[in-house]
Amino acid sequence: MKVKFNNRDPVYVQVVRHFKEQIATGMLEQGQEVSSRRELASQLKINPNTVQRAFKEMEEQGLIYTEKNSPSKITKDEQVLHRVREELILEAVDTFVTSVRSINVPVDELVELVKEKYAADSKKQGGNIDD
Amino acid sequence: MIEVKDIKKKFGRRQVLKGVSFTANEGEITCLIGINGVGKTTILNAIMALTPVNSGEILLDGKKVTKESFEKITFIPDAITMIPQMTIAESMEFMDDYYNAWNQKRADELLKFFKLKKEEKISSLSKGNTAKVNLLLGLALDVDYVLMDEPFSGIDIFSREQIADVFTSHLIEGRGVIITTHEISDIEHLIDKVVLLDEGVVLKEFNSEEVRESEGKSVVDVMREVYKA
Amino acid sequence: MSSFLKLTNFEIGRFFKLYVVLIGITILSQLIGLVVVSNGYMDEANNAIFQENLTAQEYVNTYGEMSLLNLTRTLWFFAPIALGVIALLFNIFFVWYRDWFGKNTFIYRLLMLPTARINVYLSKATSIVLMVLGLVAIQVALLPIQGILLKWMVAKDFRLDLTPAEVVLGLRELMIILPNGFIDFLLAYGTGIMAIFIVFTAILFERSFRLKGILFGGIYIALSVGIFLSPVIVQSILNVSYLYPAELLILEIILGVCVSIASIWVANYLLTKSITV
Repeated sequence: MKVKFNNRDPVYVQVVRHFKEQIATGMLEQGQEVSSRRELASQLKINPNTVQRAFKEMEEQGLIYTEKNSPSKITKDEQVLHRVREELILEAVDTFVTSVRSINVPVDELVELVKEKYAADSKKQGGNIDD
Repeated sequence: MIEVKDIKKKFGRRQVLKGVSFTANEGEITCLIGINGVGKTTILNAIMALTPVNSGEILLDGKKVTKESFEKITFIPDAITMIPQMTIAESMEFMDDYYNAWNQKRADELLKFFKLKKEEKISSLSKGNTAKVNLLLGLALDVDYVLMDEPFSGIDIFSREQIADVFTSHLIEGRGVIITTHEISDIEHLIDKVVLLDEGVVLKEFNSEEVRESEGKSVVDVMREVYKA
Repeated sequence: MSSFLKLTNFEIGRFFKLYVVLIGITILSQLIGLVVVSNGYMDEANNAIFQENLTAQEYVNTYGEMSLLNLTRTLWFFAPIALGVIALLFNIFFVWYRDWFGKNTFIYRLLMLPTARINVYLSKATSIVLMVLGLVAIQVALLPIQGILLKWMVAKDFRLDLTPAEVVLGLRELMIILPNGFIDFLLAYGTGIMAIFIVFTAILFERSFRLKGILFGGIYIALSVGIFLSPVIVQSILNVSYLYPAELLILEIILGVCVSIASIWVANYLLTKSITV
């Protein structure tokens, strides 16, 4: 697990986001154990206190839960999981729309382009796997 | 907690420290930043009673540093503190002989972690490996506080990465650490607290994560602002 | 084991290789010297007896017998002793400055040991004293051995056998190193130990205040020597002898002990309050 952190956003926020992405893409499944704080700190090469902070945040958001004396696990709460996915998609779409709006593209044309591009990208990725 | 309170220090006519104050907490990594010659090393020396200050006070958990403190706090200078003719094994024995806080298990672990050979003489080590031995001798002590002077300077990139790994491991966890550096970019994500020094004064003392959160600035951004002003 | 003993052992260990070489040189030089001097004597004796037709008795009457004193007056005997003295005098400074200079900074370690810093000072002093005594002991042991070797190499008629004490008495210079009698020994070495303490403290002045420290160190040495010698100085200035020799001796011993204790006390202060790495 290697994450490139930027220097301007709080690192703990970036860690939480990284977890959300992993949950949304299914890399982390519900109920799955997550690495300990210490392991995570050395994997991500960040300060253990920051990881601690990220875990606290994730617990507050209900992304993970910790039972007494056992490692933290990804939540099994479908609603939360669903919300994470939604949140990420919405966030990405928001960014996309903001940057595209400035070029003033008609929405139909845009949708077509997005579909084409998406298909081409998937094919390319698939092709790569076949190699 | 290490409390540095308004310390002043003159070398000849040069006022190196003009009233430096800051604190470093247990369990946190505090980074003293400043270009070479702003007195970073002098501050660490002063904390360890290796050089007297002209005025001001330094407290370790509320008490003055005495010989007993050296079982609680250790200093890793940027040069090795052992005799070059000694082997790594002999250096470790030396430490074991004098310090109750010496943790042989941890020392062996560090030896493996840094991929060092016990039989090697210190004088025959590369610069990077010398720095690692230096770190080993300090970190294998079960102390609450560790001071490190420029742990990343003048060594190859692989050694640097290995040493950076120490900071995110259990070898550091829970201890109060003060490190000095003039090069922050490698370790931005490793540190909790930053103390910016210039010309013998503290320009700014802040928590790096808080500055990112409340102002959206990186440590380097803050440095740019502060040092340009 | 206490930190002081461990440190003393460690300090001796650091100088040990050089020390062994020093001992080796002493033994070799003196034994080789003995062979050379004995052979030289016998050659001359044989020549003289042959050419001038002398008897052994006549030769001895004219040129004197061969004794250990013939050896002790040569460089073979004296050079290694001088070398040892110089090496140990040099070591009084070296034992401190090597920890500050060079690639290593061992002084950091020494000053950060969880033990009273004065132990570092005392252990360095003790290591030097022990090494001096060691060399002296070797010399004391060498004299009778040399006596025996002499018996093998020089025929009885030409030989004057001396006891080690007689050898020492025969050579004034040697009496400083090997005083006759316990009191003399105590006085010579007591003064030596005091001198080491004074110089050590002066070195710490220099290490604490650098350039200014050299001045302080110089003043400290002058003051200490002045106090130690004050009875002698006062008497010679006033040109009267208030004190009997025995009284003077006791006063000097008291002053010596006081100066030594003061040196240790000042050193302790410097080591805890003003030393700079």
